[in-house]
Formats: sequence, C-alpha cells, structure tokens
Amino acid sequence: MTQKKLKEVVQKVLPDVDMVIGYRQGFDPVHATPFFVTRPEQIDELIWNPLCVHNLASYIPSLTTNKKVAVIVKGCDSRAINQYLQENLINRENLVVIGIPCSGVVSVSKVLKAVDHQIIESVSCENHAVTVKTSQGEKKLSVSDVSPDKCKTCLYPTPLVYDHLVGDPITSDKEPESVYDEVRSFEEKSLEDRFQFWKTELDRCIRCYACRNACPMCICQDRCIAESRDPHWVTQKTNQTEKFMYHMIHALHLAGRCVECEECTRVCPMEIPVAKIKKKINMEMDQLFDYKAGLNAEDTPPMYTFKVDEETIEEHEL
Amino acid sequence: MAKLGYLPKEKLTDFLENLKKKYRIYVPCQDGDAVLFQPFDGEKPLCLDRPATVSPKSVIFPQTDILFSFDYRKSSEDPKQVSIELTENLDFPETVIFGSRPCDAKGFLIYDRPYTQTDMPDIYYKGRREKTTIITLACNYPSPGCFCTSVGGDPADKEGSDILMTDVGTGYFFEAVTAKGEEIVEDAVFEDGSSYQEKAQAAHKAVADLVKKPFDSTEGLPEKLLSLFENDAFWEAEAAKCISCGACTYLCPTCYCFNITDEQAGSKGERIRSWDACMFYHFTLEASGHNPRPLKQQRLKNRVGHKFSYYPKKYEGAIACCGCGRCIRSCPVSVDISEIVAHAQEYKDEPSK
Amino acid sequence: MNQVNNPYLPELATVKKIIDETPNIKSYQVVLNDPEKMKNFVFEPGQVGQLSLFGVGESTFVINSPPTRMDYLQFSVMKAGEVTAALHELAEGDPVGVRAPLGNWFPYEEMKGKKILFVGGGIGLAPLRTLILFILDNRDDYDDITIIYGSRTPPDLCYKEDLEDWEKRSDVNLILTVDAEYPDWEKRIGFVPTVLSEVAPSPKNTVAITCGPPIMIKFVLEGLAQLQFKDEQIITTLEKRMKCGIGICGRCNIGDMYVCKDGPVFSLAQLKQLPSEI
Repeated sequence: MTQKKLKEVVQKVLPDVDMVIGYRQGFDPVHATPFFVTRPEQIDELIWNPLCVHNLASYIPSLTTNKKVAVIVKGCDSRAINQYLQENLINRENLVVIGIPCSGVVSVSKVLKAVDHQIIESVSCENHAVTVKTSQGEKKLSVSDVSPDKCKTCLYPTPLVYDHLVGDPITSDKEPESVYDEVRSFEEKSLEDRFQFWKTELDRCIRCYACRNACPMCICQDRCIAESRDPHWVTQKTNQTEKFMYHMIHALHLAGRCVECEECTRVCPMEIPVAKIKKKINMEMDQLFDYKAGLNAEDTPPMYTFKVDEETIEEHEL
Repeated sequence: MAKLGYLPKEKLTDFLENLKKKYRIYVPCQDGDAVLFQPFDGEKPLCLDRPATVSPKSVIFPQTDILFSFDYRKSSEDPKQVSIELTENLDFPETVIFGSRPCDAKGFLIYDRPYTQTDMPDIYYKGRREKTTIITLACNYPSPGCFCTSVGGDPADKEGSDILMTDVGTGYFFEAVTAKGEEIVEDAVFEDGSSYQEKAQAAHKAVADLVKKPFDSTEGLPEKLLSLFENDAFWEAEAAKCISCGACTYLCPTCYCFNITDEQAGSKGERIRSWDACMFYHFTLEASGHNPRPLKQQRLKNRVGHKFSYYPKKYEGAIACCGCGRCIRSCPVSVDISEIVAHAQEYKDEPSK
Repeated sequence: MNQVNNPYLPELATVKKIIDETPNIKSYQVVLNDPEKMKNFVFEPGQVGQLSLFGVGESTFVINSPPTRMDYLQFSVMKAGEVTAALHELAEGDPVGVRAPLGNWFPYEEMKGKKILFVGGGIGLAPLRTLILFILDNRDDYDDITIIYGSRTPPDLCYKEDLEDWEKRSDVNLILTVDAEYPDWEKRIGFVPTVLSEVAPSPKNTVAITCGPPIMIKFVLEGLAQLQFKDEQIITTLEKRMKCGIGICGRCNIGDMYVCKDGPVFSLAQLKQLPSEI
C-alpha cells in the first residue's frame, strides 16, 4: 500500500526534478538496490519494503550543486539531510525530500545467516516479517530479529525533514536511554577483552573504504587522510596498526556528525561492525554536549564551534 | 592418464596435516561472518560450502608487498657523504591454495599474461606463482550473482588448477591436472578414484546448467564497449549508484592494479607495493592537479572497459573477468557488472527526442 | 638491456650536477654508481626513467640528454608534487635511484632524410631536447631543422645555454617566443600555437614533434592540421601518473595502451585510434 502511494508521489514530483532516487529490486531476491528514476515509465519499478536499507541521502551532496534531485528517505536517512543542512553541504532549493515512515529494515547478512547461507529463491515481505524460501524450505523471519542494530533502538521512525510524507507518521516505542545500551554493556568488558575484540575484527579490514564512501558525512572521501602523502599520517601497509589508525581517524572525524545510519557496518565486505566505534564516540558527544547529530537543520555540530565556557561541561570552579 | 584419487571426508584433516609438512597451506576459514583464506593450523574449522569472501589472490599477490628495503648510510670519514643500501627479499616458500573455486584459479591466469609473459616479468609475482599449487573445489551450486559460463568459465573448470576436487557426498574426488597435482594425489591417504569419475562429471554438468547467463556471449563485446566510450549518458546511468569505493576491486580474482609508496623512519625504510583500485578518485590524479578520470562514471567505464575490452584486445580475446560475482555480492549498492555488460550488448542508438 | 632482473629495483646513482633552468625547473645530471653499468647503459631518444628518492618515492622523467652524449643522464624536474619538491631539495653528490630506460622512443630511423619541425612549450622542451641533440649529432641524416619554442616569460625558458647554441648554428632555425611583453625581451611575442601559424612551415616531407602543456598541445595540433599536416606526420609525448613503469599497475592506460610501455611517444594517428581520455 505504501509502495503504491510512493509511486503516486513520485509521479507528481518527477516532472519538476532531474531525477528521483529510490529503490528497486536488486540482483537477487534478498537485495534491493538504489534506483535513479529519470523517466515516468521507470516509476513502476520502484519498491518499498524492509529490503530498502541503503541510505540514499549520501548521493545528494554531489548532485544538488547543479541538478534538481528528489530522494526517498527513512527516518535514519533524514538525519543525514539535517546534518548536511547544518554543515551547508547541500543546496536545499535543489532538493525534494520524500519521507517514508519506517518500522524497520533487514540486514542481508543476518538473513543469510538465518538461512545458513542457502541460496535464496524468493523473499516476500508482509506485516513486519520476511518469508525466505530456499531449497531447504520456507522460513518466516520477523523483521526485528534480522534487523540491523540501529532499528532495535530507533527513536526516529518518521523522517525529521521532508517535503512529502508517504504514509502515516510512526512514533518510536523505544526508550531514549536505550540508544547506547550496547555501548555500555560492551564497556563492561575488560580493556584487554575489548582490545582483543577490535584486534580480531579490524584484522580482516582490507581498506577498501566502502565504509568511508558509503558514509553520508564523509564528503572529503576523494581527498582522504587515509591515502594522503601530505599530511602523511597513515602508510599503505595492511598491518593492524595502520588499520586501527585509519578507523580511529575516520571515527574521530565523524564525532558529532555521525547520524547512526550504520551504513558503514552494512557495506563492509568483511562484516566488521565498525558502526560500534562511532556509536561509542556519539555517546561521549551526547554526554559532553547534550547533542545528537542530524535532529534538526538549525543546530551547530559541537566540533564546529568553540566556546571558552561550554554550557554542558563543568570544567573548573573560579 | 590423469591421476584420480578419492578422499573420504573424515580423512581430509589427515591429508592436510600431511601436506603441511611440505607446504604452507591456505584454506578457507570462517572469520567473524566472512570466509577468508588463512594458513591451515588444524584447529580452525574449514568453510567449504560457499566461496570465500575475498579471492585467494593475496596468497600470490599480497595486499602489501615489500619490494625492497633501503638504508641511508653516512660515511664515517665524511658524514656529508651518504650511500644507500638496498635489500630485496625474494625467498618464497612452497605453498598450496586449498579449496579455491574454478573462478578463483582462473583469476591467476589473468595475472599471468601481463605479469609474466613480458620482457620485464614481475619477479615477486612470478616467484610466488611458481611455488604455489592450487587445489580447486568444483562448485556444487552457483553463488548469487555468479556467471562464469558467460565468460568462458565453468563451475568445474580445470584450467588454472593443479587439482580439481569434487564433493561426491561421502568424500572428495581428486583429479590431478598437472604434474604438481599428480605428485600430491600420489599420497597414500588416497584411494583409487576412477569409480567416482562418472558421478563427478554428471554433477559438473548439472551445476553448469544452473549458472545464470546474464548475457549470451562476449563476441564483439570489446568493439561494442569502445563504441560506447563517448556515450556519457549511458555511463552516467550505469554509474549513478556507484559510491566509488574499492570493494569490487579488492575482492576480485582478476583485478591486479597496485600502488608503489615509500615509507621511511629514521635512516631506514621500505618501498612497498599495495593494492590500489582504478575506482578511486586519486588513482589517476596527477601532481599538477589534472585528473583524466575525475568522474566516477569515467572510472567505472575504465574498469568495465579494461576487463571486457582493453585486456581482450591485448591478449587475443581473453576476458579479464572470471564471473565469480563477488563484486556484485559485496558491492554496497549492488552494482552488477554482468548487467552493465548486458546493457552494452543490447544497446542500440536511439534518435534523441 | 640495462634492466636488472628485478624491474622494480632501481640502479643506485649520484647527482653530479644541478642546473637551475627556471624558477621552478631544475636539471639533474646523474651518473650510475656502477661504472660498468654506466658504460654499458643504452637507451633511445624519447625513453624515460623513473628517478627514485628513497623514502619519498619515484617520478617519471624523460632522459633529456641524448644517447650520443653519455657522460651523464640528464633529467629535468618541474616542482609540482611530493617527489619533485623533494628532488628540488637535493644537493650535488646526493644519492638517487634510476630505473631506466622505460617506454618507447622517437621513430628517428623513419625520420631520416626529412625536415624536422619541433614545437615546444615550457618544460615540453625536455623530451624534444634529447631528439634535437641526437639529430644534431647525426646532422647529415636529416634535412632542415626548425624549432619553435616558447614559455610564459623569458626566465621560464628552459635550457638557455642550448638555446644560445642553437641560435648561433646555421643549420638550425630557432624561433623563440614568450607569451607577453617582458623587459629586455626583444624577440617574438605570442603564444606558441599563434607563432606556429605565423611561421606556417610547410608539411612537405616534414615530421612535426610537439610537447608542452596540454592546452598548448591542443592548439598546436589544430594549427598543424590547418597547415595540412597529416596525422601520421605529427608526433607527441604524453604524460600520466605512473608507478610501475612496466605497464602492469594499471593506472597510465588510455584504452589498451599503457603510456609507460607503449608510449610515451605516440603519433597523432595512433592517438586518434584510442579512446579520448587524456
């Protein structure tokens, strides 16, 4: 039903823009893929279902300079748009935001694990569940069982910025404090255990920079410090030190900017949960500055300003 | 007659332990949720039921390779006089890649032409290649996105392997392809495999019929792609969703581009070769600031062009893509190179509206 | 063949002399440390080398001294990026590495008996220099020589000593120009492509060789076409970001041609067959 409404909205919007960015079916039943609609006859291929995981907002900065673009966003994706507006990275007049309230998407990795990596013959989505058919039979999976971590603590199921809303707004039933529950429980482990965890996980990293390029906020990806010779902070070696260095720099550059869309974890071909690092830094930013990225267009990211006396930090008593 | 052997599944570890006495062995293992080729240690369980996340190319072409190290030496008589000592390390151990797929093995054939069939062969690659034996496992089912039969391959292709293994239920049917392979199948742990040959061949044929064919043939494809070179609209549409990372390149069995950088600490340092990707913006960026391929559609066009047009042109039609489908599976946005090729094949010039 | 078994291992060499050509271009006369290797070093005019600064990196330069004068190998370096900036900090006596010769060379055999027209701008004179000197050292094999060379300002002219030499010679027609008026400059004023059209050399039995900034090459090629030069008569050398120098790292390609191996010398006829991505 939402899919039908979506097509109607796109039909209305398309004549006024150069393209509408949405989703269509991908190369196999469990993958959706970004779809750039430029002609009315393409609209019918648009889909909307829990497979639509990609953060399409990432495409906007490079396009709105000289093109008029409409983009379909979920709640988490819309935070990226607000963050772009805070940082002056996009031309709002050239952007039409089509927001869709979302009750959760699936993680393809988790679905594949749930069916033991059997070849998936078909996927049908209905009522917060995906039914996956393989040669071993059918398996019904509730979306919340196979969703990425972000959906479990989602506070913004309805887009925070939009020009059109497709469907009724959804209110979150999650506790705001629960957003960083996982960070806190991970921190209960000893320092050695935590270090070992990251050493093992990051050892697989192949520095393909999918995480960086998929991140909506990494707009300097073509001139990244990970590959730069001037300044020269990171070498091209693939030992643990270099991989740690790259990931720490990447996460620190996102402090106060990461909108927790978890694209970085989703796109990692080596299945490294890199979003956890950014989530930890976000928790610190929240505690220090009472700030979460991308909630509205008027905020200023804390790392963009400097105040001698920060309102939220008790530094010293004079 | 080729050496045929049968190895019951419960004897697999014994076989590998024995092989380990003579070779350094790389096997596909589960690492987190990924499957990677790692040194066989007898403890980590093997994962053979699906192709590894990354191809085994890093065994012969490591992601970081130290070409040589250098040392600036000051003369004790005259400190202003500096000389340099260079040290290469060309010692490569005997190695076995166990459990690669036919597409992975074909990847090395793609490397072989530019890297070894030249008047200036790459001695690092050549040295490792000559010391490596490849034991390939025939696929018993296609993987999502794979299309080997459209690019001259097959789920039981022997080309490029020293041994082809087939899972025949209770064990593995080993077929030696080369002299190196025959030596291994002579191990006492093997039973005579001739009775399993027919079963294996039937299985091979059945799987080949299941592999999808996104395009009919690569006949005329090099020229067709060249004819589309100036068609910016075509490439803009195909590359629209690409995010210009290096995942496809780094996972690909046939991608062989690299970078050379110097690293120095104090008076010592190294010149290292590391994987690079033509999909990155900086790949062709010149010191003057000029970039022949500043747009991602130009880079995607070059990658597809290299595999299906430029390489075949240089090497008598050989396609530099083995159809493994890794790039499609692991792409953050599911860019599908087989779909792009199919679109190119079907493309007909339409009169502009 | 000078190449050692390992195509990536440079020959150790020493900078014997550094010449300040222009405010941002220096020439380095380099000698291989191993006297046998230096004595037996063979290369053709137009071939390039990778000059190594260990710890910084490598950069590609044409060997702009000719094979007929083998006291040293000369490379000219314009300060542009990391390696070239570091090279500019070198002093005479400093160690470097050389991987050479790489690439193809000017078809000087086919050029015998013909008139040669050189059209260069700025540091583009470097690859032309090796061929000019080679031809002057084999003067009788070639017909008339015309050199049209210009730069932004007089201080930016490269190889000032050579230019003086060539000006004096009666068997070379040297036409110098700078882009605009400049104090104490009494010779021609005008962009190189404009001067080319003014001089209007005849294409008859002539080979034209051009090298310079991309924008200059673009207009020079148009100018030569207008003068009725055929594509086969026009030769140029290309530049690209290079790393391996042996045609396998994948980055300097234009279509299926690798500038480091199948080039950098190309005729316009060859270039027109390649996809246009320069």
